[in-house]
Amino acid sequence: MKAEYINAFYVATRDVFSCMLDIDTQRGELGLVEDMITGREANVIIGMTGDLTGSVLYSFPDKMALDMVKIMSGMEMDKLDSFVTSALGELANIISGNAVTNLEKHRISCQIVPPQIIIGQNKSISMAAEKALLLPLKTEIGEFEINISIKETK
Amino acid sequence: MMWKEKYKIGVAKIDEQHEELFRRVSDFIRSVQAKGQWEEKLGKVKETLNFMKDYVVTHFRDEEIYQQKIGFPGYKKHKEIHDNFKAEVGDYAQKFQQEGYSEELVQEFGGKLMAWLIYHVAGIDQKIGAYAAGKEIEGQ
Repeated sequence: MKAEYINAFYVATRDVFSCMLDIDTQRGELGLVEDMITGREANVIIGMTGDLTGSVLYSFPDKMALDMVKIMSGMEMDKLDSFVTSALGELANIISGNAVTNLEKHRISCQIVPPQIIIGQNKSISMAAEKALLLPLKTEIGEFEINISIKETK
Repeated sequence: MMWKEKYKIGVAKIDEQHEELFRRVSDFIRSVQAKGQWEEKLGKVKETLNFMKDYVVTHFRDEEIYQQKIGFPGYKKHKEIHDNFKAEVGDYAQKFQQEGYSEELVQEFGGKLMAWLIYHVAGIDQKIGAYAAGKEIEGQ
């Protein structure tokens, strides 16, 4: 997996967090993992097709997910209900859409599949590639991860 | 949902409509997330949903007319984004008709709508403002 793929997702995440939540995002050290497992409570999976196929998992601690939706709605959120998970799914959808646009600059053409929500930790997701890259991210409202398992098809 | 000054694109009519749209979507979300029994809230939910839905159509149309008027080069792509979203709203409307206004489905619609609208106004629509401002300078 090339660095530009990861960077496309990092830049998209940073931009969308800044635009929608007014929050800065810092990247941690990239890791290589054998399995794609939900590391946190609130998870969104986005499938990718085209020149790159596979899936991207956005994994947020529940408190952070509630805080993100609180920032968006201006309302206190106390549980991961359909309102919260759907807002989170759309946010991951927007980030992934922007990542696809960033990849187009490298002449990589992809499409994304609508988000799928998974609640709970330690759930295993099937992978398209043999390994996945784990990108930890830090913000003032918590730390979360993006797990990227994609392979080139061309 | 909080309206922020940074969301303004510098075109008075569109900024006013965006602010009104935020108000209406907020009213809808507040009615969905209010404490209490779903059946008791449903009347208010449907009322705020319809009030908001009509305005989305009006606003998209007015914004598209404005984009054409100033010759905005991103018009086609922007209209496509509006059309796709209207289709998604239409899908939900159909589901509400067929399956009823269940709390879960209405919440799902509300969450998606809120996130979509914030990004559309705070991110995508800013390009219209940037283009309009550039044209003004050019015309001076």
